Amino acid sequence: MSLTQALTTALSGLNAAQTSLSLVAGNVANSQTPGYVRKVAVLTQNSVGTDGTSVQVAAINRVLDQFVQAQLRTESAGAGYADVRSKLFSQLQDVYGTPNTTSTLESSFNTFTSALQALTTSPDDPTAKSAVLTAAQQFAQQLNTMSDGVQGLRQQAELALSDDVSQANNCMQQIAQLNEQLSAAGQDSSAASLADQRDAYISQLSKLMDIRVINSGNNQVTVLTSSGVELVGAKASTLSFDAQGVVTPQAQWSADPAKRTIGTVTLTSPNGAKTDLVANGALRGGEIAGYLEMRDQTLVQAQAQLDQLAGAMASALSDTTTDGTGVTSGAQAGFDVDIGALQAGNTVSITYTDTATSKQHQITLMRVDDPSALPLSNNATTNPNDTVIGLDFSGGMASVVAQINAALGGTGMTASNPAGTTLRVLDDGAANTVDVNAMSATATATSLTGSVAMPFFMDGSIPYTGAITSTGAESAGFAGRIAVNQSLLDDPSKLVAYQSSIDAADATRPNFLYDQMVNATLTYSPTAGIGTAGSPFSADAGTYLRQIISVQGAAAANASSLAQGQDVVLSSLQQRFDNGSGVNIDQEMSDLLSLQNAYAANARVMSTVRDMLTSLMQM
Amino acid sequence: MPVNSISSTPNALVQSLMDMRAQFDDLQRQLSTGQKSATYAGLGSGRGLSVSLNAQLSQLSGFDNSIDMVDTRLQLAQTSLGGMATIGNNMKALVVQGDSTGGNASSAQLTAQSSLQQLLGLLNAQAGGRYLFSGRATDQPAVETYDHIVNGDGARAGLKQLIDERAQADLGASGLGRLTVGTTASSVTVDEDTGPFGFKLASASSGLSNATVTGPTGSPANLTVNFTGQPSDGDTLTLRLNMPDGTSENLTLTATTQSPPGNNQFTIGGSIAATVSNLQGALSTSLGTLAATSLRAASAVTASNDFFSADVNNPPQRVSGPPFDTATAMTAGTTANTVIWYTGDAGTDPARGTATTRVDPSLVVSYGTRANETGLRTMVQNVATLAAVTLSPSDPNESNFTSALGQRVGTGLTGTPGQQTVTDIEAELAGVQQTIASVKSRHQQTTATLNDMVQQISGVSNEQVGSELLTLQTRMQASMQTTAMLYQISLVNYLK
Repeated sequence: MSLTQALTTALSGLNAAQTSLSLVAGNVANSQTPGYVRKVAVLTQNSVGTDGTSVQVAAINRVLDQFVQAQLRTESAGAGYADVRSKLFSQLQDVYGTPNTTSTLESSFNTFTSALQALTTSPDDPTAKSAVLTAAQQFAQQLNTMSDGVQGLRQQAELALSDDVSQANNCMQQIAQLNEQLSAAGQDSSAASLADQRDAYISQLSKLMDIRVINSGNNQVTVLTSSGVELVGAKASTLSFDAQGVVTPQAQWSADPAKRTIGTVTLTSPNGAKTDLVANGALRGGEIAGYLEMRDQTLVQAQAQLDQLAGAMASALSDTTTDGTGVTSGAQAGFDVDIGALQAGNTVSITYTDTATSKQHQITLMRVDDPSALPLSNNATTNPNDTVIGLDFSGGMASVVAQINAALGGTGMTASNPAGTTLRVLDDGAANTVDVNAMSATATATSLTGSVAMPFFMDGSIPYTGAITSTGAESAGFAGRIAVNQSLLDDPSKLVAYQSSIDAADATRPNFLYDQMVNATLTYSPTAGIGTAGSPFSADAGTYLRQIISVQGAAAANASSLAQGQDVVLSSLQQRFDNGSGVNIDQEMSDLLSLQNAYAANARVMSTVRDMLTSLMQM
Repeated sequence: MPVNSISSTPNALVQSLMDMRAQFDDLQRQLSTGQKSATYAGLGSGRGLSVSLNAQLSQLSGFDNSIDMVDTRLQLAQTSLGGMATIGNNMKALVVQGDSTGGNASSAQLTAQSSLQQLLGLLNAQAGGRYLFSGRATDQPAVETYDHIVNGDGARAGLKQLIDERAQADLGASGLGRLTVGTTASSVTVDEDTGPFGFKLASASSGLSNATVTGPTGSPANLTVNFTGQPSDGDTLTLRLNMPDGTSENLTLTATTQSPPGNNQFTIGGSIAATVSNLQGALSTSLGTLAATSLRAASAVTASNDFFSADVNNPPQRVSGPPFDTATAMTAGTTANTVIWYTGDAGTDPARGTATTRVDPSLVVSYGTRANETGLRTMVQNVATLAAVTLSPSDPNESNFTSALGQRVGTGLTGTPGQQTVTDIEAELAGVQQTIASVKSRHQQTTATLNDMVQQISGVSNEQVGSELLTLQTRMQASMQTTAMLYQISLVNYLK
C-alpha cells in the first residue's frame, strides 16, 4: 500500500537527514582538528516496490583533493630539508659571531696582528709582549670555541637524526597498522577517520623523508622513498640509527663500517634484510637528509676551514724552508738538502721537468712515523697538484733513500745519501729525460730558540707538524686544540730572544712573526671548500679568514632564502588543501539549515500520512 | 617554518603576521644597535669586503699607534740631540777663545767636566723606559757614568789612567818623546825608539854650512848631522816631527854666536866638538819642551781616541806595560781591566737600522741611534779629553800645553768635512718625523673612507629604519584589524 510506502520513504529521509546532521556536527566539532578532512554523506535513491523511492546513505566520503595532497607531501619534504639547513646554518652563523663586535674571529685576528705590529715597534716593552700573548691566547681560544660550536652543531644533528628516525619509525608502524585496519573496514565514517589518521602519519613522515605514496586499492597504501626503497608495504620496515654520544672533528661517516665513527640510518625490511640508506644515497629530502648533509658535509667543511686556518698559521710561524744546494756528479745534476730536522708531517719538495713533455711536476716527500698510515693520498698536503710519497724514517737514511728510489723509479731521478742526513736527488745525466729544477726541505722548529721561526702555536703540548697517522691527519680538528706554547707564556722574552744574547730591541723575530701573519702567502687545501684543485687558494691568513666568512655567510643567506621560498610554497599549498578539504563553518551552517528543512519536510510527510491514515480509519 | 595548521583558519594570513612581527623585531634591533645584521649572513654580499675593511682599519689603527710611539721617541731624541749640539758649540767657542786660565783645573776644564756630565746624561735619555741611544740594547743605558769614564771603576781603568799611561809611553823616561840625542866627535845623532810612541822623525832640512844631514833613514829611523866645519851665524836646522795623533810640528834650531843661546838656538863653539855638544844640548832642551806641550797634548788626544773608539767587542787599545815609559807596543785592553764607555749594542750595522717601525704596509722607517755614532762620539771624546787631562799649574809649559790641547779639541769638535756631526743625525731624524707625519695624515683620510664603506655595508640609516618601522606598523595594524574582522564574520553569529 502506497501510504505505508510513503511512511517508510519519509522515515528513510529522516534517517538520511540525521546521518548528514551528525556529519555536520562532526565537521563543526573537528573544524580545528589537524588533519581532519571534511566528511559528507553520499545519498542514493532506493526503489521500493513499483512506485516508491526511498533514500539511503551509500557511503561517508572524505572531501579530498588527492593531487594537492601528493604535491603537499613532496613540498613538505623539501621544506623539512630546507628548514633544517636554514636553522643549522643560522646557528652556525652564531658561531662566527656578530659583525663589528669583539666576539668575532676577525676581531681576535686583528687584535693579534695589531699586537704583533706594536711589538715590532717596541720589542723591548714587556707590555707589548704580554699583549701579543694575550691576543694570541684569545685568538686560539676563539678558534677552540668555534670548533666546539661546529662540533656541537654536528652533535645536535646527530641527536636530531636519532629523534627523527624514531619518529619516522613510529609513523611507518602506524601506517602499516592502519592499512591493516582499513583493509577490514567498510565505507562508513570509522573508515574515513582511519584514513584521516593514516594521512596524518604520512604527512608527518613526508616532513622527515622524501616519500612516494602509492594507493594500491582496497584502501591500502604503499610508502616508498622517492629513490624507490619500500618503507611500508604489507608490513612496515624498521629504521634504526646508531647515534654516537660524543661527536668529535675526527668522527666521520664512511661507507666502510669499520671506519665509520658516526651514526648511519639502517633500514631493516620485514624479511630481515639490512640496507644502509646513507651509503646508497636513498635519502634525498626531508629533515633527515637535511641533518645528514649538515652533519657530513657542511659542518665538516666549516670545521676543515677553521682547521686549515689554524694549521696554516701555526706552520707559518714554526716552519723553515731550506732550499737545496745544487750539486753535479758527472753528467748528472741535482740538489742536496739536509733532512735531519724533519718531523713527522714535514716535507721535502722536488720540482722536476719531464723533458719529453716539457711539463713540470711536483713530488712531495713526507715523513710519516706511523707506517700503518702509508701509502699517503695526494691530498695529504695542502697542494692539490703534487704527488705525495710518505716516508718511514725508522729504518735510517739507507731505508729512506731506498723508499725514495722506489717511488722515483719511473721518473728517471735517483736519490742517494752522500753523508750524514743529506739527501741527494740527481737527474739522469746524459740520457736527459728529466731535469731536477728545485728541491727544498721544510722543517718545524721545536724549540723557542735556535731559529727565527718558533713553535708559537702548539697542538696541545706538541708542536704542530701536520703529521699523518692511521687515525687521520693532525690537521683534523686542530682548530679545537690550537693553543699558545706554554713555554712561551712562561717566558715571554722568547718573543724577541730567538737565540742567546739578543739585544732587547732586536726586532728580527717580531718582524718575522708579523710578516708571516700579515703578508706571508699560505696555501690552503681545496678540500675545505675554498679554492679548487686547479687553482688552489693561496693568500695571507687574513684573506683566507675573509673567504671563510664570505663563503659561510653566503651559504647561510642562501639556505635561509631557500627555506623562506619553500615555506611560501608550502603555505600556499596548505592553504589550497585546507580550502578544498578543510571545514568551512559557513558552509556547515548553511548545510545545517537545509538539513533542518529536509528533516521538517520528511516529518511533515509522516504527519500527513498519519492524518490520511486517521481519515481512513474514521471512515 | 610554516605554521603547523591547528585549524583550517587562514594559515598564510597568520604566517604573514608572524613574519611581520619578526621583521618588526629586527628593525627595532637595527635601530638600537645601529648594525644592519647580527650575523654575517645578513650583511649581504658585502660581508667579505667588510672583513677586509675591518682588518685594514685595525691595521691602520695599529700603524697610527706605532706612529705616535715613534713620534714621542723622536721628539725626545731630538731634544737630547739639540742639547748636545748646544753643548758642543759652547765648548768649541770656549776652546777657540783660548780661555784657559785658572787654578789647578783651568776654567775651560771645569766647563768641559760639567759639559761631559750633561752630554752623558743626554745620551742616557729614555722614552718610556727605553734608552734611545743604545741601539738595540734599549734596556741598557747607552753610556757609563761620568765617574767611571773619567776615573775608572775599581780594577777597570778610566780615561784619566789611559791618558796618563799613554803620556808616559809617548814622553819616555827622559821626557824627550822617546828620541835619543847622541853625539860623536863631529856629529849629532837623533834616534827614534822602537814602537808607535813618541816623536817620529818625518824629515830634516838643513841650512847649516859645513854640515851634512843624513836621514832620517831606517826603522826605527835615525838622523845624523855631521859637521865638517863650523856653521855660520844664523844657519838653521829644521826637523819635522810627527805626533801620535797624526799632526806634525817643525823644530828649528838656529846657530848663533851668542852665549848663552836663546830659545831654539845653539851656540857655535870654539871647536867642532863644542858646537856638536851645544847642538845636542839645545836639541834636547827644545825636544823636551815640545814633548811637554804639543806631544803631551797629541798623546792625550790619541789616548782619548783609543778609549772612545772602543766598544764591548773591541776593547780599547792600551799601552803594553807597566813599565809604560819603555813600552814598545799597544795591546788590546779587556772589559775586565778597562771601562767601556759605550754600553749599548755594539753592532757594526748602521745605527738607524737598530730601531725600525712599519708605519704603512709598504713603508718602514728607521730611527735608531747609538751613542758611539761618529757625530756623538767625536763630541763626547773631545770634551772628555779636555775634562780628563791632568793640569799642573806650576809647570812652566802648562799654558802652551793647554793651548796645544785646546787647538786639537777645537779641531776635533769642528770635525773634518764629510764626517758625521750631531746636526746630521738631527736632520736624519727630522726627515723621519716628517715622513711619519705625512703618513699619519694619509692614514686619517684612508680611515675615514674605510669607515664610510664599513658603515655602508654593515650600518643602517636611522631615518630609513624609522620610516620602515612606521610603514610596517601601519601594515601590521591594518592586517590585524582585518584578520579580527574576518574571524567575526561567520554565519554562526547570524543564526537564530
